[in-house]
Amino acid sequence: MIESYLPILILLAISVVNAVVILGLTYLVSPYRPTSVKSAPYESGMPGLGGTRDRFSVKFYVVAILFIVFDVETVFLVPWAVAMRDLGWEGFAAAMIFIFILTVGLIYEWKKGALEWD
Amino acid sequence: MDFYGSHWVLTFLIFFPLAGAVVAALVPERLARSVALGVGVIELLVALPLFWTFDPAAGMQNRIDVPWMADWGIGYRLGLDGISLFMVLLTAFLLPLTVLGSWSYIRDRQRAFYAMLLGLTTGVVGVFVALDMFLFYVFWEIMLIPMYFLVGVWGGKERIYAAVKFFLYTAFGSLLMLVAILYLYFKAQGLTGEATFAYEAFLALPLTFTEQALLFAGFALAFAIKVPIFPFHTWLPHAHVQAPTAGSVVLAGVLLKMGTYGFLRFALPLFPAAALNETTVLIFMSLAVIGIVYTAMVAAVQPNAKRLVAYTSVAHLGFAILGIFAFNLQGIQGALLLMIAHGLSTPMLFFLLGMMYERRHTYEIADYGGLAASVPILSAMLVFAALATIGLPGTSGFVSEFLVLLGAFQTHPYLALIAATGVIFAAYYMLPPLQRIVFNALDRKENRVIPDLNRRELTILVPLVALIIWIGVYPRPVLDRMEPAVSQLIHQVEGGRMVVAPPTDHAAERPPVAAADEERR
Amino acid sequence: MELDFQTSVDYFWALLPEIVLSLWAMGVLLADVFQKGSRSEASRPAIAWLALAGIAAAAVANVWLMTVTGTGGMIAVDGFRIFANFILLLAAALAILVSMGYLDRHAMNRGEFYVLLMFAVVGMMILASAQDLILLFVGLELMSVAIYVLVGFNRRDPRSGEAALKYFLLGAFASAFLLYGIALVFGATGTTDLALLAETIGTGVQDAPLLLMMGVGLLAVGFAFKVAAMPFHVWTPDAYDGAPTPITALMATGVKAAAFAALLRVFAVSFGGLHETWVVAFWWLAALTMIGANLVALTQGSVKRMLAYSSIAHAGYVLVAVVAANAVGAAAFLFYLLVYTLMTAGAFGIVIANARGDRERVSLEDYAGLGWQQPVMAAAFAIFLLSLAGFPLTGGFIGKLYILRAALAADQVPLAVILVMASLISYFYYLRVVIVMYMRPAPAADTHAGLTASRPLQVAVGVAAIGVILLFFAPAMVLDAAQGSVAGLFIAQEALFGLSRGP
Repeated sequence: MIESYLPILILLAISVVNAVVILGLTYLVSPYRPTSVKSAPYESGMPGLGGTRDRFSVKFYVVAILFIVFDVETVFLVPWAVAMRDLGWEGFAAAMIFIFILTVGLIYEWKKGALEWD
Repeated sequence: MDFYGSHWVLTFLIFFPLAGAVVAALVPERLARSVALGVGVIELLVALPLFWTFDPAAGMQNRIDVPWMADWGIGYRLGLDGISLFMVLLTAFLLPLTVLGSWSYIRDRQRAFYAMLLGLTTGVVGVFVALDMFLFYVFWEIMLIPMYFLVGVWGGKERIYAAVKFFLYTAFGSLLMLVAILYLYFKAQGLTGEATFAYEAFLALPLTFTEQALLFAGFALAFAIKVPIFPFHTWLPHAHVQAPTAGSVVLAGVLLKMGTYGFLRFALPLFPAAALNETTVLIFMSLAVIGIVYTAMVAAVQPNAKRLVAYTSVAHLGFAILGIFAFNLQGIQGALLLMIAHGLSTPMLFFLLGMMYERRHTYEIADYGGLAASVPILSAMLVFAALATIGLPGTSGFVSEFLVLLGAFQTHPYLALIAATGVIFAAYYMLPPLQRIVFNALDRKENRVIPDLNRRELTILVPLVALIIWIGVYPRPVLDRMEPAVSQLIHQVEGGRMVVAPPTDHAAERPPVAAADEERR
Repeated sequence: MELDFQTSVDYFWALLPEIVLSLWAMGVLLADVFQKGSRSEASRPAIAWLALAGIAAAAVANVWLMTVTGTGGMIAVDGFRIFANFILLLAAALAILVSMGYLDRHAMNRGEFYVLLMFAVVGMMILASAQDLILLFVGLELMSVAIYVLVGFNRRDPRSGEAALKYFLLGAFASAFLLYGIALVFGATGTTDLALLAETIGTGVQDAPLLLMMGVGLLAVGFAFKVAAMPFHVWTPDAYDGAPTPITALMATGVKAAAFAALLRVFAVSFGGLHETWVVAFWWLAALTMIGANLVALTQGSVKRMLAYSSIAHAGYVLVAVVAANAVGAAAFLFYLLVYTLMTAGAFGIVIANARGDRERVSLEDYAGLGWQQPVMAAAFAIFLLSLAGFPLTGGFIGKLYILRAALAADQVPLAVILVMASLISYFYYLRVVIVMYMRPAPAADTHAGLTASRPLQVAVGVAAIGVILLFFAPAMVLDAAQGSVAGLFIAQEALFGLSRGP
């Protein structure tokens, strides 16, 4: 049984070796001449503003959480939609329960004001 | 309903004080002591007829056996025999006296105080009549709580230290006893297939010598701490000195007897071979003798009268242990009688010290002197109590110590000889302080103006004096009631002594998994 | 009703209490946001009662579940689960009752508190009923995530945040252990179904026993984290101390009980065939926890922290029942969890009651003289403490006796003696509180006057106190129920290995 994992092990080994070789080679052969401009963080071509440990408005996080929720919803619902006919009513019911729970969450967020920016 | 022929008298004696405790806790503050006194008097009046209705020939009587937690074989099992009878009577007798003794001594939180005192009585009576090991253990443990509070709340300056020490010492012993009880329980269940905590069911268990020795150690430690036997006695002086009068009286009067009672009722009959093994007997008798001599010497140098009396308790109970392990009729009867005698004379001393404390607010011997001139009645009582403690002929102490020594001489004459010096030591530690307190010059003017005993205080002391003299002069009625029970105990233990289960190959009994466990460790 | 889990509808019935509670929680969530005028105002008291009604509804569903039998699914429908559910619901109900006044005093009465609490209970119930390691993990995470939030619920208190972060990091760590363990067990046996696991292991695992042992070891570590057994307990004191006290009560009772229920099901039932191996690990865990936690508890000056260590110590006692791994042990386990839930929730209830405004008075000195100024409260606390110490006249004594019995029945005499000695150590610190309450004078005559124990809290504490005492005087009913509910648990094992060494 454990032999069946051998290909995975080989794959793992190859990828590790690959990564090590590429990174190692660049480290060894590439020239290394840092300047203050070069080692500044890349900000879409703009000059950097302040430190990286800034505090962000909580609204960003709320949006991020909302995004994850709907992201996951997509991940679940697309496969279901593809196989909907095969899954039948039982699958339909399961999907509806899932959507129902998400809806409750959405209503809550809405009432809480998470969908408004101000 | 035949009250005195059935268990009802015991049930009443156990739970009536508890009900009284609840009432005392609920009534207005100033009524609490009256309620407690009423409860105490009724308890005594109900208990007293037992002395006559008790049938010495009938063995264990007033029995009851009803299931409580049936699945586990725990039952409400009580019984009374010649050994427990006097312990119950003593408890009931001391209860109203302690209430009277606390009458003006306790001023704060009276409701709680009397509730605790009455609750304590429930536990103590329960211990003396329980014939179910579980029930016994429960009473044994719950009695700790009220005592803990009595010392810790109403005690002297170092009351908390004393209370904690008392509690932990006792709890330590009793927890090991619990493990031993559980072991017996499993043993009994394994042999008969029936789960039961009944005392009698444990009596007949075939145990190997090793088992007996270990289990005996578990029980004996609990009882030895309670008695207390010599190296385990260090909690007692603290508890005594810090406790209020009532606490000291109950502690000396009945609580310590629970230890000696435990030896007679449980440790010896359950494990006869281990208990009466030559080495065990020698250990216990030696410890008893060391205790007698050592504590007598320590007592002699105590500046604090209450501490002195506390040490005399250890010495006296050493005699009781000596008698028990001599294990003959005289020895055990003497020990039992000594438990009663000590339960009368020492409480009397504590009562008197409490009365002196109420007048002068000190237990230091040096603070007194010449009391005979200012308070003659109190002094007379003090002299009497001291002489009774020493064991003057004509008091109960003499008869009992005599019987104990008689019993001990038959088995271990040398030890008995040393123990006999304890009687002389008693005079040595008791008389000089007595002289200082009562007879020296009346050189402090505070001692001149103190009032003599009032009627309430006399009511406490006179019954004690009467009983001490009665038992000292004519102990026959008491001895007669004990004798059959003691003989039966001796017979039973001597019979059981030879019956030791052969050591079995222990591993073979166990299922394979357990044996494998064992090997791997 | 007979369930064979051939269709999804069977799962619906088998999960009815959980489903009822989840739907109810969603309802409470919506009710809360809709009844508020503005977003920042406090929730109405009705929300708490509504949540309590939800717990009651779940309990009713749980009662109905007693008429159901089911075999073969991912969800266990057995007495063990039903009994455990009752304990969890009881813990939740007590936590809600003691929360009511507390949240107002600390200005954090938000409906989400109760909703999260209910979701956490759903997770606990799933944990107790999971017949499959994957489902078990889902329940664990549902419970844990909700509790992480609840621990940090008091946003204004930095200690609450600190506690939440610590709990979250170590909890996630523990979950990772557990998950990795599950993966390895799956790798070794090819199944995550608990019943199948028992069978596979019972007939002998040919392949990769090392893999299996590593999996079992990691699972043990993960569970030890969750039940806070020494030496995996380091998060407990901080998390318990910083969390809002009602949540501390819930963590000490419900969370622990649920994790223990899962632990017993996984180890005693599924890994019963490996009993010889893991019992050694748990033996040491139990011994170390009992001795270590009790010793550390001695040094605590804060009652809340002392209770946290006490709850660790009690995890050790319960582990003794797990080590016994027989029917007596499982019944003792359930009985003890019930008593433990009552006495711990009650004790934390008193800690909540002994507060003034938003200042919790948790140091030992804050209890000085409480016994005479607040006699009822102090008496209740004394009962809980004595019960925690395992003193006669309280259910804690019967519980401990039951565990001792299980240990002796399994021939674990040294462990029994350690348990007894550990209890003796625990007398010190439980009694110290009693001493302070009754034997130290209060700084002033009105130190403890006007403590704000809300009516629901009084009810919770009263119920707990009466329960603790009743469990001593009339334990028969609960004992029977506990014994009955584990009857089916070990049947397979007994047939296979003769594991039940009890009488």
